[in-house]
Amino acid sequence: MRNPPIEPGMHLDEGELTSGTHIEAGRQYGFFTDTTLCIGCKACEVACKEWNQLPAEEGELSGMSYDNTRALSATTWRHVAFVEQMGPERERPDAMEPFQSRWLMMSDVCKHCEPAPCLEACPTGAIFRTEFDTVVVQQDICNGCGYCVPACPFGVVDLDEGDGKAHKCTLCYDRLKGGMEPACSKVCPTDSIQFGELSDLDRRAHERVSNLRERGMEGAYLYGAPGTPGATGGLKRLNAFFLLLDRPEIYNLPSAPTRPADRIAPSLGAGLAAFVSLTALAAVLLAGKQEWRR
Amino acid sequence: MSRRDTGERSGYAGQNYYDQPPLKPSPWDWTVSGYIYLAGMAGAAQTLALVGQQLDRGRYRGMVRNARYLASFNAVAGAVLLIIDLRTPHRWYNMMRIFRTTSPMSFGSYILTAFGGFSGLTAIGELLRGPGPAGRAAEALADIAQFGAAATGAGASTYTASVLSATSTPYWAAAPAHLGLAFGSSSVAVGAAALSLGERSAGRHETARRLDDVAALATAAHFVISRTAESRRRERGIPGDLKASREGAALEGAELVVAGLLPLAAYGINRFAGGRAPALSIIGSLVLIAGGFMLRHGTLKMGKRSAVHPRAQFRFAQPENLPPWERPGRNLRRNDFPGARSGRRRG
Repeated sequence: MRNPPIEPGMHLDEGELTSGTHIEAGRQYGFFTDTTLCIGCKACEVACKEWNQLPAEEGELSGMSYDNTRALSATTWRHVAFVEQMGPERERPDAMEPFQSRWLMMSDVCKHCEPAPCLEACPTGAIFRTEFDTVVVQQDICNGCGYCVPACPFGVVDLDEGDGKAHKCTLCYDRLKGGMEPACSKVCPTDSIQFGELSDLDRRAHERVSNLRERGMEGAYLYGAPGTPGATGGLKRLNAFFLLLDRPEIYNLPSAPTRPADRIAPSLGAGLAAFVSLTALAAVLLAGKQEWRR
Repeated sequence: MSRRDTGERSGYAGQNYYDQPPLKPSPWDWTVSGYIYLAGMAGAAQTLALVGQQLDRGRYRGMVRNARYLASFNAVAGAVLLIIDLRTPHRWYNMMRIFRTTSPMSFGSYILTAFGGFSGLTAIGELLRGPGPAGRAAEALADIAQFGAAATGAGASTYTASVLSATSTPYWAAAPAHLGLAFGSSSVAVGAAALSLGERSAGRHETARRLDDVAALATAAHFVISRTAESRRRERGIPGDLKASREGAALEGAELVVAGLLPLAAYGINRFAGGRAPALSIIGSLVLIAGGFMLRHGTLKMGKRSAVHPRAQFRFAQPENLPPWERPGRNLRRNDFPGARSGRRRG
């Protein structure tokens, strides 16, 4: 039930009207992007740019199906990927499976990971976890060190050379504060992008997968929900998660991303061990008796 | 569906997204590799200075003085390079806004600050030391600060390996321990080479000879480490053609020759000639000092290249490379993409 009936005297907030979700600080929110419903209209890209006042891309055709956006960037926080699959034998579309004839489309976005590698890397505390369990870069703190950029396992965070700060999707932090659902999910005409509380989205997503499998879409699986691909290697979950039909790499996603901070101990430990043992050997060499003089 | 039956070491050689970069490369350039290099040299120099100070004050007096000045210069120059690298440099002080153990750049900022502070104290003590009570107090202060400089110097020489490893960049992330070993050993080699040059220029060939031995030992260690790191990275799916690139050739040249066999040969010949060819030692140290920077800069550039290389990222970010408790076989769901039609290896 998406739209509760409106009755006189009833307290309504916009999030409840448009997404059936009451938005309240202290609860966990995210996106469930169901790629089987995406029609590639790019309304999410446009709505995101519109709301967040992000500049347009240079107009240039990429030759990558209908994807001229190419990737998420400092000024593009939703990106619709297009994968036209004609099958290994190049069958005609009428010989192919139902559901989009394997024309895969996916609206990609920041995953708002838990734990978030960009946040864990940020040395200034500019990146923080909000009261809605989303991950946001505070523009008045960021000093453009750029460490979050290689930290992100999904290539989401980007530095803007214009203003010298890191930028990414805020899950419309300002809208959530005002009780409104994010611009992209609100505008999505097929409900491919669903905004909601994580517990709610998890339930909906698992139901959708079993429903699709019952209907013959054996390939449907979740990416980024707890215990699924994408939520691997120390990443407990992605607060923005996806329903996919093919391997993650097809959509430019890693099969098994990992949490970068887990690599601090081995690198620092081994480095100190090498340094200290070489220093000990150096002490032996430097302590030797004076043998000869020139 | 298991990709292990394809006989590949790391699974994925299938289709990707129009060869688009799956990751964003680090925005860092020579200022950051330059900092990593200067911090490594300075940290090792101060640690060797502590060793010298404790072993034989008289014999290593000149070396200790040089290490203190060198470290202070490098710490200041390194900090300036780091600030220049920021895209919003006037907010550099935000680095001191929080302390975060999950961010090597955060705790590293404090290591650098402490190292710079201790090194500054050793240098001030060095400047003011002399006869009289004030001069002796200055000397005592420098000698005490030397312990702090050595301890934080060990951190400054090695935490930078964590800065690189604790990212999602495949080349840096594939072998974290090896990167640590490489940075640690190369720092000692470059630090010893720099101090050796100082000794030679002052005509103290006896101490220079010992420092040459230290530099040669650390260089040999780095040579072995770089070879095992190479095979470890391959095991974890870093494709060989990365090494065939221009960046790869530059890095390999530094690992094998410039910061490897060349200085080893120069030090070795001088040693077997009974120290009668000090010019060779000077050449060896100069080459090693240049090679140390080539190593750091080459590692930085290789990482950036691997991030935009779809095959490097997608072979590395496979379930085979997850921690043991998460590897396929234990949790089949993670390795199984029921809808996959293009994941199979193509001929």
